[in-house]
Amino acid sequence: MCLQNFPCQEVERHNKPEVEFKTSKELLLNPILICRNEAEKCLIESSINSLRISIKVKQADELENILAKKFLRFLSMRAESFQVLRRKPVQGYDISFLITNFHCEEMFKHKLIDFVVAFMEDIDKEISELKLSVNTRGRLVATEFLRQFT
Amino acid sequence: MADDEDNGSSVLDADTFVETEAPAVIIARIEGKSRQVERLLRIPQYTEALETALMDAPTQTRDEQCKAANWILVHRVLMATKDVDGLLLGLNPELHDVLMKYLYRGLATGDRITCDLCLRLHEKLFDMAGIGCIMRAISDTQNLV
Repeated sequence: MCLQNFPCQEVERHNKPEVEFKTSKELLLNPILICRNEAEKCLIESSINSLRISIKVKQADELENILAKKFLRFLSMRAESFQVLRRKPVQGYDISFLITNFHCEEMFKHKLIDFVVAFMEDIDKEISELKLSVNTRGRLVATEFLRQFT
Repeated sequence: MADDEDNGSSVLDADTFVETEAPAVIIARIEGKSRQVERLLRIPQYTEALETALMDAPTQTRDEQCKAANWILVHRVLMATKDVDGLLLGLNPELHDVLMKYLYRGLATGDRITCDLCLRLHEKLFDMAGIGCIMRAISDTQNLV
């Protein structure tokens, strides 16, 4: 991850993350799409001063779909405190990270990478736990409710 | 000022890109290569087949059909290979970069079997060729495979 400061070429005194605007082709690298299978994929787009990582998490059924959407939306809304998270995921993906050269100056690069990797590893576990707790609660409530009819 | 108006076109414009060969010529060459590759796969000589498929890859052209045709050829060889380690050990080091670009193309397809194979090959090729290979595959915007 080699990001350096690069003031905007078109507008004076502006400093934009080039990967978001994509105005100049020479500042961008080839985007890399890595698919683990049909459901999960990861898009990595890079430029001279910024890096965007978008992840689509595995969603096996409708319940996981809803849980993933709500959970990741919850995280994205609080993007300010994460700093490297993007408020809206890129079209076609569930969550996006935007890392700029300023983040690299303030924080350790290897720690940033560890954060993203740990996030990817934990997200599946979190969603499975959520699904399990929803199913357990549903079963308990249904048992209690239907008990009055037996 | 007059010279400020030229800032719209960058060095990577498609118009300034010079195509050295016509697409039809490249497709004909790929067809010739595919016959050779089929013959090598039947022997079977997987490393030579892969080298033939990777040699003269259509990187100097913008025609998507040529690139797709060569990718199908490389994909055929990769799927047919039984011994992944031996395949990479015998490979010419100059072809490592081209193979890495094709592996990333394979990872983008989304097909489970292709992706599994590409991930395994990526790990082995990374051990052999190092991180420079990946960097060249990402940063080379001119010679796209």
